[in-house]
Amino acid sequence: MTGLEPIDGYPVPAAVDIRAEVRAAAHALAGGTVPASGRTTSDLSIDEELVLHSIGWEPVALVSGVSIHSVPMGVWNWGQGEIDYASAAYARSFAHATERIHEQCTHAGGHGVVGVRVEWAVERHHVDVALTGTAVRPVGATGLGRDPVFASDLSGRDFALLHTAGWAPLGLAAGASFVYAPRRSMGATMRQSGQNVELTNFTAAMYAAREAAMERMQASAITLGGSGVVEVKVTEGPMEFAHHAVGFTAYGTVVRLVAGEHRHPGARMVLPMDDPAPAFDAASLRGA
Amino acid sequence: MTVPAEVPGDLPEAAVRRLGEGAFSSGLSVPDFAACLQMGLEPVGFTQGYCVMNWQWYGMSPLGGGGFGYQWGGVRGYSEQWSCPHGMVPAEHRSWGQNYEQSWVEDAWATGFTTACTRMVEEAASAGAHGIVGVVDTSQPLSDMGVVEFRVQGTAVRVVDGDPPPDGRPWTTYLAGQRLTKLVEAGYAPVAIEAAVASVGVWANCVTQYLSEGSNSMYRGTTPGAEITQVVSAQMAARQIATQRVRDQLGHDSLHGASMATVQRDRGEGDMEVECVLRGNRVRRFKDVDPMPSPRPTVRLL
Repeated sequence: MTGLEPIDGYPVPAAVDIRAEVRAAAHALAGGTVPASGRTTSDLSIDEELVLHSIGWEPVALVSGVSIHSVPMGVWNWGQGEIDYASAAYARSFAHATERIHEQCTHAGGHGVVGVRVEWAVERHHVDVALTGTAVRPVGATGLGRDPVFASDLSGRDFALLHTAGWAPLGLAAGASFVYAPRRSMGATMRQSGQNVELTNFTAAMYAAREAAMERMQASAITLGGSGVVEVKVTEGPMEFAHHAVGFTAYGTVVRLVAGEHRHPGARMVLPMDDPAPAFDAASLRGA
Repeated sequence: MTVPAEVPGDLPEAAVRRLGEGAFSSGLSVPDFAACLQMGLEPVGFTQGYCVMNWQWYGMSPLGGGGFGYQWGGVRGYSEQWSCPHGMVPAEHRSWGQNYEQSWVEDAWATGFTTACTRMVEEAASAGAHGIVGVVDTSQPLSDMGVVEFRVQGTAVRVVDGDPPPDGRPWTTYLAGQRLTKLVEAGYAPVAIEAAVASVGVWANCVTQYLSEGSNSMYRGTTPGAEITQVVSAQMAARQIATQRVRDQLGHDSLHGASMATVQRDRGEGDMEVECVLRGNRVRRFKDVDPMPSPRPTVRLL
């Protein structure tokens, strides 16, 4: 697609006669010859696919992994400290779902999975994790890659940017912790009634859950050999079905510098001239 | 679900008249409309297909007996048995379980979707269109009586100076506007929208029941906090069946921009059903890969 002289070192795509391209596509559909190509499935957008191709990667297949672990009855309501069953159920579900998506990726001939959609739910009696994404590989690669298969929730665009900067995703790291917020004594409840006062039992429980979850995610990243985690998503708060239990979850993509040094992408600053048209607010005519 | 080649000639007379009149209609946004004109695609008309289906999603037995649960024979496709690890058990104990593909649900869904899609394509073909862009498909219950409406709509277009589609059957795509432009620039021709559903029923055995309810069984063989393998198998099977079904429809083409949606409906005591719908654009490569150069990163100053 390169055509014109590079600008600031970046090649400029040649202008495309899109009408001719559309006619060629219609001709191919009408029975014209088409080049041999592999059958792929992908949930990437065309933008993501193009940008993947620009760094020499291609989609292979849509893959997924699921795991559901049971949480025994009664563990959410009374107790002290961490709710081990729930925290372990989250960790195991994430790990098993990741194993399964890795298996499917390997089976499809992919070297990794990008754009992984992470769907998870913590219910009273079970924790569900489902991962869906597109297996990718370097263009034309056959067989397994040199490095272990990875799964990443980075989009195709972010994967390409990371690749350009000399970094590589190593996998998903996750951590979760569910902690009891101890109930206040009757006396404390009475004293605090009607006052503006911090409920330190909930604050302390939240801090405990956060520290444990973040530490687990970090430990998972170190196990994968990563130097950091990007695009971390966290959730926190009381459980809907157990108001004296608070949870904190975190997951993200583990990355490591694989080039000699970080390559600055050299982003050019642009000043868009297309200011949005001011919206007319009819209510403003009525005065304040 | 690829639209069949045979286009039935049962288009309403009013639709034929409307499509034959001078002004076109379109469901495209103005930017998408502009992109289509730039590509040499002339809008012909806003086409729709509908199909209202009456069926019972749940409890329909292949033998007509009704009742959710194990289907006595007639199970087509995926089926997996789960046995009880316990010894002497009372009669109410769930001593066996089964995952089974609910082919009657899949058939009903496929019939509704395909019929609606075929009707949309029929309208477009009648108007002399070469393709349909910006397709949107939805399904929704019309009442609480097991009536579901399938709706597929899109804008029929004609390729200026282009070859008509084979068999007069227009191609279809969920894409429109710049996304479609980039698809063609990347060397892909849109062929058809593809969709497939997989429905797997779970008739829970004792272990699945205990684990799903979080109950501590008095019987051994149930580890608290263990993985609920029967449900995991059903989830994985539903995804794989839907994916394989779409792959079977692709031939040598590829599926692009797929969307996989999975729903799990609990029926109590560990019984449930898992439904997975996979949609996407079937595309065909019409020229060799010509990768674009690495794009230049920019930072917008706002």
